Amino acid sequence: MGPYEPIFSTLGLQSWCESGETTANGPTSMADLLAQNAGTDVPSPSVWELPFPSMDELHESCATFPQSRALTKGIEEGFLSVKDGLSLVLDPITQPLSWFLEGALWLFETAPWWIMIPVLLALTLAVSRSQKLVVFVGACLLTLSFIDYYSFATQTLAVIFVCAILCVVLGVPIGIAMARNDRLQRMIIPILDMLQTLPAFVYLIPLIFLFSVTEPKLYGIAIILYAIVPVVRLTDLGIRLVDKDVIEAADAFGMTGRQKLIKVQIPLALPNIMAGVNQTIMMSLSMVVIASLVSAPGLGVLVLRGIRNLELGVGLVSGLSIVVLAVILDRTTKLALARINAGQDR
Amino acid sequence: MSETKIGIHDLYKVFGPDPMTALKAVRHDGLSKPELLEKCGHVLGLENINVDAKGGEITVIMGLSGSGKSTLIRHVNRLIDPTVGKIIFEGRDILSCAPAELRRIRREQMSMVFQKFALLPHKTVAENAALALEVRGVDRDTYLRNAENWLDRVGLQGYGNSYPHQLSGGMQQRVGIARALTSNADVMLMDEAYSALDPLIRTDMQDLLLELQQELQKTILFITHDLDEALKLADHLVILKDGRVVQQDEPQKILLEPGDPYIVDFVSDINRARVLRVRTVMDKTVVTDGINIAGEIDQEENLETVIAMAEGDTRKTYLVKDGERKVGVLRMDMLVKSLVPAQSSDTKTRAR
Repeated sequence: MGPYEPIFSTLGLQSWCESGETTANGPTSMADLLAQNAGTDVPSPSVWELPFPSMDELHESCATFPQSRALTKGIEEGFLSVKDGLSLVLDPITQPLSWFLEGALWLFETAPWWIMIPVLLALTLAVSRSQKLVVFVGACLLTLSFIDYYSFATQTLAVIFVCAILCVVLGVPIGIAMARNDRLQRMIIPILDMLQTLPAFVYLIPLIFLFSVTEPKLYGIAIILYAIVPVVRLTDLGIRLVDKDVIEAADAFGMTGRQKLIKVQIPLALPNIMAGVNQTIMMSLSMVVIASLVSAPGLGVLVLRGIRNLELGVGLVSGLSIVVLAVILDRTTKLALARINAGQDR
Repeated sequence: MSETKIGIHDLYKVFGPDPMTALKAVRHDGLSKPELLEKCGHVLGLENINVDAKGGEITVIMGLSGSGKSTLIRHVNRLIDPTVGKIIFEGRDILSCAPAELRRIRREQMSMVFQKFALLPHKTVAENAALALEVRGVDRDTYLRNAENWLDRVGLQGYGNSYPHQLSGGMQQRVGIARALTSNADVMLMDEAYSALDPLIRTDMQDLLLELQQELQKTILFITHDLDEALKLADHLVILKDGRVVQQDEPQKILLEPGDPYIVDFVSDINRARVLRVRTVMDKTVVTDGINIAGEIDQEENLETVIAMAEGDTRKTYLVKDGERKVGVLRMDMLVKSLVPAQSSDTKTRAR
């Protein structure tokens, strides 16, 4: 009998507690078992050892009171009971994500290397307009291919392309809506904070229950949820930071809300939006590694193999390959950003 | 005298969460600006403003910072809505306009020049100048051609394809003026348009404005905190202090008969000879018998010119003409007397 028993009896809840004692069939904890084995009744503890009245302690004193494990179990059961309804709605909505990912993976894998690498280099040139960078990227890609990491690297790139593009397509409008509506901003910011601070592994747990592990959208959703935050935040910030005087001028010359958005706010917020895109790409890269736990293809699989089988060499080389990809993506987007910044230097 | 283009009537603006209640306190209990701030936590931006801007004239609104002048000009094209009051533009109350109609007025009938230029940094100078036309939906070739024309007029030939950040401050403001002119609106609102420019460039720009105005005859509302600038440009001068109109009149009249100690302080260190004109200080007599006339001058000439003409000799007398008609005589000793600022006759003015 616990130290809090007198409280229950003074509150007149003794009979309620006792009613639980007979029917109580709760799970047995390790502590219970140990206590049973010890077999002796512990003398009532002094006030110095008074435990915090937690759920478990109160359960000691009153059998009807639920244990804390009932809470986690309740959440689990609650989630499982809505799961079917939830996946009925989410499955069709997110299905295109699977198609995009499968399509991109198929495209990147079937295209022969002597087409793929030049295409990637051309893309780099188009975005960054820097020949120096193209040489660097070319050297990196050739090295990766030479050490037989070509297919893993392209898989990772395929996943990042799809997820980053979807992040921008979804995130920029959300950011714009937030910038125009203070109440919406107040509602969305806590969600963004949560998405940003939630440990990356935690995303995966409910997703595994909702979707089949064999479907690409499972890791697609995890990556998008994790990586969309910076682009939303920086779009919102960028539009809010647009010079008030310029907005006033736009109003004074009779622009409509839409004209203002397209001709003034988005172009002026572009440096910030691009900084968000850069961050989003970097975060999708970090998540695509973790998502290899739930069957995301690419370099993450090799890292995982390195950890699981203690293959030090594989783990290190694949880890460094990820760093190389990160540098390539970062340099390319940063140069694009610098170009935009230079264009509207004041 | 031309007719009123923009009439501002009984305009009040109170900033704060509950402006109507605060306004009652101002109107009925006669609270002043600091009292209102202390008692109700509201800021009295503008109090009982009545200003008429006549068509084709430059109306200058002058006041120190915090006097509400920038707030006032933003009421005219409704960038700010008043708490109560009327703004009549071409016989119609701007405040009752629907949003679409208001946008049309802003696009076609009113243009604005800003203190900080407010150019679009990602567009070329020509595209910036053409903003109003682009917003209206004019096709690109036409609006760029129009913009180039006006850029030429403000002295920016060949800069059409530059970007604003490549130009100096003075040139950027020329783009701002070209943008206002390209919109081809009758009304130009100029909010401290020259305050951010250095003095020499400012003088240039003032001359440019006067030169353009002579030809274009627009209705200009010009905001400034610089009395010299105000006196130089104004056909009608409104002096604002703490959200109230202290005095409004023809600039010379304000200089000669300042109606408030505040204005006396203001005008005391002004080069009066440059502002005052012959017609305001002359004797309105056409009897010239027995007077030794040294020469003839036009009545619109300013006193600085006359002094230079007389080479500083105070014994001379000039015949004043309005075109071919004799309208009076100007004695140089009278002229010198009129140059004595009102401050020395302080006691007289303050007693009033």
